[in-house]
Amino acid sequence: MGENLTALTAWAQNHSETTAFYILAFLAIPFAYGVLLDRRIIRSGFLLIGVFGAISGVFLLLQAQFLAMAQIMIYAVGITLVVVIALMLTNPRLEHDVNPAIPVAKTSGIVVSILLFVTIYLSLRSEIWPLSPSPVKADNVLQIGTGLLTYYSLPFEFASVLLLVALIGAIMLARAEHRPPSQMEERLDAQEDLSSERNDNVVQV
Amino acid sequence: MWSRSNTISMIFVALATTLVCLYARGWGYTIVQHIGISTDFTDITISAAIILSGGLAMLCGADLPVVLIIGTLGVFVSLTLAQDALVRYLSLAAVLFSIGVYGMVVSRNAVRVLMSIELMLNAVNINLVAFARYVDPNLIRGQLFAIFILTVAAAEAAVGLAIVLAVYRNMSTVDMERFNLLKW
Repeated sequence: MGENLTALTAWAQNHSETTAFYILAFLAIPFAYGVLLDRRIIRSGFLLIGVFGAISGVFLLLQAQFLAMAQIMIYAVGITLVVVIALMLTNPRLEHDVNPAIPVAKTSGIVVSILLFVTIYLSLRSEIWPLSPSPVKADNVLQIGTGLLTYYSLPFEFASVLLLVALIGAIMLARAEHRPPSQMEERLDAQEDLSSERNDNVVQV
Repeated sequence: MWSRSNTISMIFVALATTLVCLYARGWGYTIVQHIGISTDFTDITISAAIILSGGLAMLCGADLPVVLIIGTLGVFVSLTLAQDALVRYLSLAAVLFSIGVYGMVVSRNAVRVLMSIELMLNAVNINLVAFARYVDPNLIRGQLFAIFILTVAAAEAAVGLAIVLAVYRNMSTVDMERFNLLKW
């Protein structure tokens, strides 16, 4: 047992990138399952931060420092925040006792995703990749910036237009409709009745 | 609170760990040769054994999350341990993408479906960055493409969650099985 352990540590010191990769993979895969299978959906919203953090570690291993930071700033902070706020607005208490999975889709979903993985993996494995031995240059952030403002400036502009349109569209969709004040009050009263009924149900269950 | 399903789950965990350790120590080859399969397919044979025993454990009533997580990790390790670094990263991306597809098909809550889509977009990003590192390290075009995917993902999250909020205002539910607004 002791010999095995020393052999394992020696191997890990010689293959530090492989070891770090497997540690990150062993973090990312269980967190991803936790996002899907946790019964309390608010908790799965926070587990999403773990997945994104592990993936940003993978980006660091692949020498993409700028993308690792952008991943943490956009996904782990921005998108997760939006998701959690949406969960709070759509009353997560309703999902507590319900089975999170649709029963019919449960087995067929597993079969479909296993088949998908097998197909992708076999095609990856049988391909001969044109690998390049040189590492990524140290000034890769400079390269990205130059690329975005010269050769890829048109897609860059389209991306900013897309973000603007998405921003305006999200505000239009999420905004409450304009109604006369009297109707608005009735609507609020009806909603309060509904929510109090719902709370009663929860207490009874 | 020790029940039958816990016992079966533990048996499955022990079996999968043993298979992966045997493979990592190099004893898998002799076993596979003994059965009569070519040694080129040792990893595939081991992972097929893990998947089959996982299905059996599910039929006997094991815990679904334990079987899924341990089975995926075992299959992932045994399939990637002997491969190049590029194939390892691409396989991690494939695993995350398949998990995202599973969650998108199965989930009941619309917000959880959106989370699964974010997971799939992230898996695609890993692919692009891995290609930028190992195939095209001089121009790193993959990282540029990953930045555009990041933009599209942010726009998708904002619009998707706004649609979920609008549906919740009209229907008072976010259950995917009760959205029938577009049914004729």
